[in-house]
Amino acid sequence: MKKLLVTLMLSAMTPAAFAVTTIKAEVNGMVCAFCAKGIEKKLNSLPQKQAAFVDLKSRVVALQLKDGQEVSNDAFSKVIQDAGYSVSKLERVNQTVDAIQAEVAKAEQKTGSK
Amino acid sequence: MLKQHIVATGAFVLSQMMLPVHAAALMGFEDSAMLMTEIGRYNQEWMLNYSPTLGHAIGVEQMRMSGKGEQATTISGINYTGLIKRWNLPSAQANVWFNGSVGEARGQYDGFAYTPSLQFDVESTRLYFLAKARVIRAPHMNFDTAAVQAGFSFYETGFNETQPWFVIEAKTMRNNDPGLQVTPALRLINKNYFLEFGVTNPWQGEGFAPRLNAMFVF
Repeated sequence: MKKLLVTLMLSAMTPAAFAVTTIKAEVNGMVCAFCAKGIEKKLNSLPQKQAAFVDLKSRVVALQLKDGQEVSNDAFSKVIQDAGYSVSKLERVNQTVDAIQAEVAKAEQKTGSK
Repeated sequence: MLKQHIVATGAFVLSQMMLPVHAAALMGFEDSAMLMTEIGRYNQEWMLNYSPTLGHAIGVEQMRMSGKGEQATTISGINYTGLIKRWNLPSAQANVWFNGSVGEARGQYDGFAYTPSLQFDVESTRLYFLAKARVIRAPHMNFDTAAVQAGFSFYETGFNETQPWFVIEAKTMRNNDPGLQVTPALRLINKNYFLEFGVTNPWQGEGFAPRLNAMFVF
Protein backbone atom coordinates (compact mmCIF):
# COMPACT_ATOMS: atom_id res chain seq x y z
CA MET A 1 0.00 0.00 0.00
CA LYS A 2 2.84 2.34 0.96
CA LYS A 3 4.63 1.45 -2.27
CA LEU A 4 1.52 2.23 -4.25
CA LEU A 5 1.13 5.62 -2.60
CA VAL A 6 4.75 6.54 -3.34
CA THR A 7 4.35 5.48 -6.96
CA LEU A 8 1.19 7.53 -7.29
CA MET A 9 2.86 10.59 -5.73
CA LEU A 10 5.86 10.27 -7.98
CA SER A 11 3.80 9.90 -11.11
CA ALA A 12 1.69 12.88 -10.09
CA MET A 13 4.83 14.99 -9.75
CA THR A 14 6.09 14.03 -13.21
CA PRO A 15 5.49 16.83 -15.76
CA ALA A 16 4.37 14.27 -18.30
CA ALA A 17 1.32 13.61 -16.19
CA PHE A 18 0.14 17.13 -16.99
CA ALA A 19 1.27 17.14 -20.63
CA VAL A 20 -1.25 17.80 -23.33
CA THR A 21 -0.59 16.35 -26.75
CA THR A 22 -1.99 18.18 -29.73
CA ILE A 23 -1.21 17.48 -33.36
CA LYS A 24 -1.02 20.79 -35.18
CA ALA A 25 -0.85 20.84 -38.97
CA GLU A 26 -0.84 23.30 -41.82
CA VAL A 27 -3.15 22.05 -44.56
CA ASN A 28 -3.05 22.89 -48.27
CA GLY A 29 -6.19 23.31 -50.37
CA MET A 30 -8.54 24.31 -47.55
CA VAL A 31 -10.32 27.28 -49.11
CA CYS A 32 -13.91 27.27 -47.91
CA ALA A 33 -15.75 26.16 -44.78
CA PHE A 34 -18.25 24.06 -46.68
CA CYS A 35 -15.45 22.14 -48.39
CA ALA A 36 -13.43 21.74 -45.19
CA LYS A 37 -16.38 20.35 -43.26
CA GLY A 38 -15.21 16.86 -44.18
CA ILE A 39 -12.05 17.42 -42.12
CA GLU A 40 -14.07 18.39 -39.06
CA LYS A 41 -16.35 15.39 -39.51
CA LYS A 42 -13.41 13.01 -39.79
CA LEU A 43 -11.63 14.46 -36.76
CA ASN A 44 -14.81 14.33 -34.69
CA SER A 45 -15.20 10.65 -35.49
CA LEU A 46 -11.79 9.77 -34.00
CA PRO A 47 -12.19 8.08 -30.60
CA GLN A 48 -8.84 9.57 -29.49
CA LYS A 49 -10.13 13.13 -29.97
CA GLN A 50 -10.33 15.42 -26.98
CA ALA A 51 -10.88 18.56 -29.08
CA ALA A 52 -10.40 19.67 -32.67
CA PHE A 53 -9.94 23.00 -34.39
CA VAL A 54 -10.02 24.07 -38.05
CA ASP A 55 -9.01 27.56 -39.18
CA LEU A 56 -9.29 28.61 -42.83
CA LYS A 57 -7.25 31.82 -42.67
CA SER A 58 -4.17 30.30 -41.09
CA ARG A 59 -4.79 26.87 -42.73
CA VAL A 60 -4.32 25.29 -39.30
CA VAL A 61 -5.94 22.02 -38.28
CA ALA A 62 -5.36 20.85 -34.70
CA LEU A 63 -6.29 17.67 -32.89
CA GLN A 64 -5.91 17.47 -29.13
CA LEU A 65 -5.64 13.88 -27.96
CA LYS A 66 -7.29 12.39 -24.91
CA ASP A 67 -4.93 11.44 -22.08
CA GLY A 68 -3.13 8.22 -22.88
CA GLN A 69 -4.45 8.12 -26.45
CA GLU A 70 -2.29 8.18 -29.55
CA VAL A 71 -2.67 9.00 -33.23
CA SER A 72 0.47 8.66 -35.33
CA ASN A 73 1.56 11.46 -37.65
CA ASP A 74 0.93 9.17 -40.63
CA ALA A 75 -2.56 8.33 -39.42
CA PHE A 76 -3.34 12.01 -38.92
CA SER A 77 -2.03 12.90 -42.40
CA LYS A 78 -4.17 10.12 -43.87
CA VAL A 79 -7.28 11.57 -42.21
CA ILE A 80 -6.56 14.90 -43.91
CA GLN A 81 -5.79 13.23 -47.24
CA ASP A 82 -8.96 11.15 -47.08
CA ALA A 83 -10.89 14.39 -46.66
CA GLY A 84 -9.30 15.64 -49.91
CA TYR A 85 -6.49 17.86 -48.65
CA SER A 86 -2.74 17.61 -48.05
CA VAL A 87 -0.57 18.33 -45.03
CA SER A 88 2.31 20.73 -45.66
CA LYS A 89 3.62 20.91 -42.08
CA LEU A 90 2.95 18.83 -39.00
CA GLU A 91 4.12 19.15 -35.41
CA ARG A 92 3.23 17.93 -31.94
CA VAL A 93 2.75 20.64 -29.37
CA ASN A 94 1.99 20.67 -25.66
CA GLN A 95 -0.83 23.18 -26.08
CA THR A 96 -4.55 22.69 -25.80
CA VAL A 97 -6.73 23.34 -28.82
CA ASP A 98 -8.20 26.32 -26.95
CA ALA A 99 -4.72 27.81 -26.54
CA ILE A 100 -3.94 27.29 -30.24
CA GLN A 101 -7.27 28.84 -31.18
CA ALA A 102 -6.52 31.89 -29.01
CA GLU A 103 -3.02 32.14 -30.49
CA VAL A 104 -4.34 31.98 -34.06
CA ALA A 105 -7.06 34.54 -33.31
CA LYS A 106 -4.48 36.88 -31.82
CA ALA A 107 -2.18 36.51 -34.83
CA GLU A 108 -5.07 37.13 -37.23
CA GLN A 109 -6.16 40.18 -35.24
CA LYS A 110 -2.61 41.50 -35.42
CA THR A 111 -2.42 40.90 -39.18
CA GLY A 112 -5.85 42.47 -39.69
CA SER A 113 -5.00 45.58 -37.73
CA LYS A 114 -1.86 46.26 -39.76
CA MET B 1 -56.26 24.68 -51.01
CA LEU B 2 -54.22 25.76 -48.00
CA LYS B 3 -52.72 22.28 -47.79
CA GLN B 4 -51.70 22.50 -51.46
CA HIS B 5 -50.02 25.82 -50.80
CA ILE B 6 -48.18 24.41 -47.80
CA VAL B 7 -47.01 21.37 -49.79
CA ALA B 8 -45.92 23.58 -52.71
CA THR B 9 -44.08 25.98 -50.39
CA GLY B 10 -42.45 23.08 -48.54
CA ALA B 11 -41.34 21.48 -51.78
CA PHE B 12 -39.90 24.79 -52.97
CA VAL B 13 -38.03 25.40 -49.70
CA LEU B 14 -36.73 21.83 -49.74
CA SER B 15 -35.63 22.16 -53.34
CA GLN B 16 -33.65 25.23 -52.40
CA MET B 17 -31.83 23.38 -49.63
CA MET B 18 -29.57 21.96 -52.28
CA LEU B 19 -26.49 22.65 -54.32
CA PRO B 20 -26.28 24.66 -57.51
CA VAL B 21 -25.21 22.25 -60.18
CA HIS B 22 -22.48 24.63 -61.25
CA ALA B 23 -20.99 24.91 -57.76
CA ALA B 24 -17.33 23.99 -57.55
CA ALA B 25 -17.73 20.88 -55.45
CA LEU B 26 -19.74 18.23 -57.23
CA MET B 27 -19.74 15.89 -54.29
CA GLY B 28 -19.31 15.97 -50.55
CA PHE B 29 -16.65 14.25 -48.51
CA GLU B 30 -16.26 10.51 -48.01
CA ASP B 31 -19.44 8.83 -46.77
CA SER B 32 -21.62 11.87 -47.37
CA ALA B 33 -24.70 12.55 -49.43
CA MET B 34 -25.32 15.73 -51.37
CA LEU B 35 -28.48 17.21 -52.76
CA MET B 36 -28.17 19.88 -55.45
CA THR B 37 -30.41 21.87 -57.71
CA GLU B 38 -30.63 24.67 -60.20
CA ILE B 39 -34.01 26.22 -60.62
CA GLY B 40 -34.46 28.93 -63.18
CA ARG B 41 -37.05 29.88 -65.74
CA TYR B 42 -35.21 28.33 -68.69
CA ASN B 43 -34.06 25.03 -67.28
CA GLN B 44 -34.24 23.11 -64.05
CA GLU B 45 -32.03 20.44 -62.66
CA TRP B 46 -31.60 18.48 -59.46
CA MET B 47 -29.23 15.75 -58.39
CA LEU B 48 -28.81 13.60 -55.31
CA ASN B 49 -25.57 11.70 -54.93
CA TYR B 50 -23.69 9.64 -52.39
CA SER B 51 -19.93 9.57 -52.10
CA PRO B 52 -18.73 6.21 -50.74
CA THR B 53 -15.12 7.29 -51.08
CA LEU B 54 -13.26 10.46 -51.90
CA GLY B 55 -13.39 11.23 -55.61
CA HIS B 56 -16.40 9.11 -56.57
CA ALA B 57 -20.10 9.69 -56.19
CA ILE B 58 -23.14 7.95 -57.61
CA GLY B 59 -26.66 9.22 -57.66
CA VAL B 60 -29.76 10.17 -59.58
CA GLU B 61 -30.37 13.26 -61.65
CA GLN B 62 -33.26 14.90 -63.40
CA MET B 63 -33.05 17.85 -65.76
CA ARG B 64 -35.74 19.71 -67.66
CA MET B 65 -35.28 22.10 -70.53
CA SER B 66 -37.05 23.28 -73.67
CA GLY B 67 -36.28 24.89 -76.99
CA LYS B 68 -38.10 27.96 -78.26
CA GLY B 69 -41.78 27.14 -78.77
CA GLU B 70 -41.19 23.50 -77.83
CA GLN B 71 -42.72 21.28 -75.23
CA ALA B 72 -40.29 20.69 -72.33
CA THR B 73 -38.10 17.59 -72.27
CA THR B 74 -37.22 15.89 -69.00
CA ILE B 75 -34.20 13.62 -68.68
CA SER B 76 -34.14 11.22 -65.74
CA GLY B 77 -31.03 9.17 -65.20
CA ILE B 78 -28.33 7.57 -63.10
CA ASN B 79 -25.44 9.89 -62.45
CA TYR B 80 -21.74 9.40 -61.77
CA THR B 81 -19.28 12.06 -60.60
CA GLY B 82 -15.54 11.49 -60.56
CA LEU B 83 -12.71 13.71 -59.41
CA ILE B 84 -10.12 13.32 -62.15
CA LYS B 85 -7.44 15.48 -60.59
CA ARG B 86 -7.07 17.79 -57.59
CA TRP B 87 -4.29 20.24 -56.88
CA ASN B 88 -4.00 21.34 -53.25
CA LEU B 89 -2.00 24.55 -53.09
CA PRO B 90 -1.11 26.57 -49.97
CA SER B 91 -3.95 29.03 -50.43
CA ALA B 92 -5.94 27.55 -53.28
CA GLN B 93 -7.43 24.43 -54.72
CA ALA B 94 -8.02 23.36 -58.33
CA ASN B 95 -10.02 20.41 -59.61
CA VAL B 96 -10.93 18.61 -62.80
CA TRP B 97 -14.22 16.69 -62.60
CA PHE B 98 -16.16 14.29 -64.78
CA ASN B 99 -19.90 14.22 -64.37
CA GLY B 100 -22.55 12.50 -66.44
CA SER B 101 -25.85 10.72 -66.51
CA VAL B 102 -27.40 8.05 -68.66
CA GLY B 103 -31.14 7.75 -68.69
CA GLU B 104 -34.33 8.43 -70.53
CA ALA B 105 -35.68 11.56 -72.19
CA ARG B 106 -39.39 12.23 -72.23
CA GLY B 107 -41.38 15.13 -73.62
CA GLN B 108 -40.57 16.91 -76.88
CA TYR B 109 -37.86 14.31 -77.43
CA ASP B 110 -37.98 10.68 -76.28
CA GLY B 111 -35.43 7.94 -75.95
CA PHE B 112 -32.01 7.15 -74.52
CA ALA B 113 -30.24 10.23 -73.18
CA TYR B 114 -26.65 10.82 -72.09
CA THR B 115 -25.02 13.88 -70.53
CA PRO B 116 -21.22 13.60 -70.06
CA SER B 117 -19.42 16.72 -68.86
CA LEU B 118 -16.03 18.03 -67.84
CA GLN B 119 -15.49 20.77 -65.29
CA PHE B 120 -12.43 22.70 -64.21
CA ASP B 121 -12.50 24.94 -61.17
CA VAL B 122 -9.94 26.86 -59.18
CA GLU B 123 -10.58 28.82 -56.01
CA SER B 124 -8.79 30.56 -53.22
CA THR B 125 -10.32 32.04 -50.08
CA ARG B 126 -10.97 35.22 -52.09
CA LEU B 127 -11.23 34.31 -55.80
CA TYR B 128 -13.11 31.70 -57.79
CA PHE B 129 -13.25 30.50 -61.41
CA LEU B 130 -15.08 27.64 -63.07
CA ALA B 131 -15.43 26.38 -66.64
CA LYS B 132 -17.71 23.57 -67.66
CA ALA B 133 -18.81 21.87 -70.87
CA ARG B 134 -21.63 19.36 -71.03
CA VAL B 135 -23.07 17.25 -73.80
CA ILE B 136 -26.84 16.79 -73.38
CA ARG B 137 -28.19 14.52 -76.07
CA ALA B 138 -31.08 12.24 -76.93
CA PRO B 139 -32.44 11.16 -80.34
CA HIS B 140 -32.88 14.35 -82.43
CA MET B 141 -32.13 16.45 -79.31
CA ASN B 142 -29.10 18.61 -78.58
CA PHE B 143 -28.94 20.83 -75.51
CA ASP B 144 -25.13 20.95 -75.23
CA THR B 145 -24.08 23.47 -72.61
CA ALA B 146 -20.98 25.52 -71.84
CA ALA B 147 -20.61 27.74 -68.78
CA VAL B 148 -18.01 29.89 -67.09
CA GLN B 149 -18.22 31.42 -63.64
CA ALA B 150 -15.97 33.89 -61.88
CA GLY B 151 -16.30 35.52 -58.50
CA PHE B 152 -14.72 37.07 -55.47
CA SER B 153 -15.45 37.04 -51.77
CA PHE B 154 -16.01 40.32 -49.97
CA TYR B 155 -13.71 39.30 -47.12
CA GLU B 156 -12.04 36.27 -45.59
CA THR B 157 -13.85 34.44 -42.83
CA GLY B 158 -13.16 31.77 -40.25
CA PHE B 159 -14.38 28.18 -40.35
CA ASN B 160 -17.50 28.94 -38.31
CA GLU B 161 -18.53 32.11 -40.14
CA THR B 162 -20.59 32.79 -43.25
CA GLN B 163 -18.67 34.10 -46.24
CA PRO B 164 -20.42 36.25 -48.86
CA TRP B 165 -19.33 36.06 -52.51
CA PHE B 166 -20.26 37.84 -55.70
CA VAL B 167 -20.34 35.40 -58.61
CA ILE B 168 -21.21 35.96 -62.26
CA GLU B 169 -22.02 33.15 -64.66
CA ALA B 170 -22.28 33.11 -68.46
CA LYS B 171 -23.96 30.03 -69.87
CA THR B 172 -24.94 28.96 -73.34
CA MET B 173 -27.25 26.09 -74.13
CA ARG B 174 -27.90 24.97 -77.71
CA ASN B 175 -31.51 25.31 -78.84
CA ASN B 176 -32.44 27.00 -75.55
CA ASP B 177 -33.89 30.49 -75.50
CA PRO B 178 -32.23 32.82 -74.65
CA GLY B 179 -29.07 31.23 -76.00
CA LEU B 180 -26.82 33.23 -73.67
CA GLN B 181 -27.77 33.42 -70.02
CA VAL B 182 -25.77 35.76 -67.82
CA THR B 183 -26.46 35.48 -64.10
CA PRO B 184 -24.90 37.73 -61.48
CA ALA B 185 -25.45 36.20 -58.06
CA LEU B 186 -24.81 36.64 -54.36
CA ARG B 187 -23.47 33.46 -52.79
CA LEU B 188 -23.30 32.72 -49.07
CA ILE B 189 -21.04 29.89 -47.92
CA ASN B 190 -21.16 28.45 -44.44
CA LYS B 191 -19.79 25.13 -43.23
CA ASN B 192 -23.36 23.82 -43.11
CA TYR B 193 -24.92 25.33 -46.20
CA PHE B 194 -24.34 27.02 -49.52
CA LEU B 195 -26.97 29.48 -50.68
CA GLU B 196 -27.10 31.51 -53.89
CA PHE B 197 -29.52 34.01 -55.31
CA GLY B 198 -29.07 35.32 -58.82
CA VAL B 199 -30.91 37.05 -61.62
CA THR B 200 -30.53 35.76 -65.18
CA ASN B 201 -30.21 38.40 -67.90
CA PRO B 202 -31.30 41.25 -65.59
CA TRP B 203 -31.21 43.77 -68.44
CA GLN B 204 -33.68 41.77 -70.54
CA GLY B 205 -37.35 42.61 -70.07
CA GLU B 206 -39.00 39.26 -70.76
CA GLY B 207 -35.83 37.23 -70.33
CA PHE B 208 -35.28 38.52 -66.80
CA ALA B 209 -35.56 35.61 -64.39
CA PRO B 210 -34.59 35.03 -60.76
CA ARG B 211 -32.57 31.96 -59.93
CA LEU B 212 -32.19 30.41 -56.52
CA ASN B 213 -29.72 27.72 -55.54
CA ALA B 214 -28.59 26.12 -52.35
CA MET B 215 -26.50 23.20 -51.21
CA PHE B 216 -26.87 20.85 -48.34
CA VAL B 217 -24.48 18.04 -47.50
CA PHE B 218 -25.16 15.43 -44.86
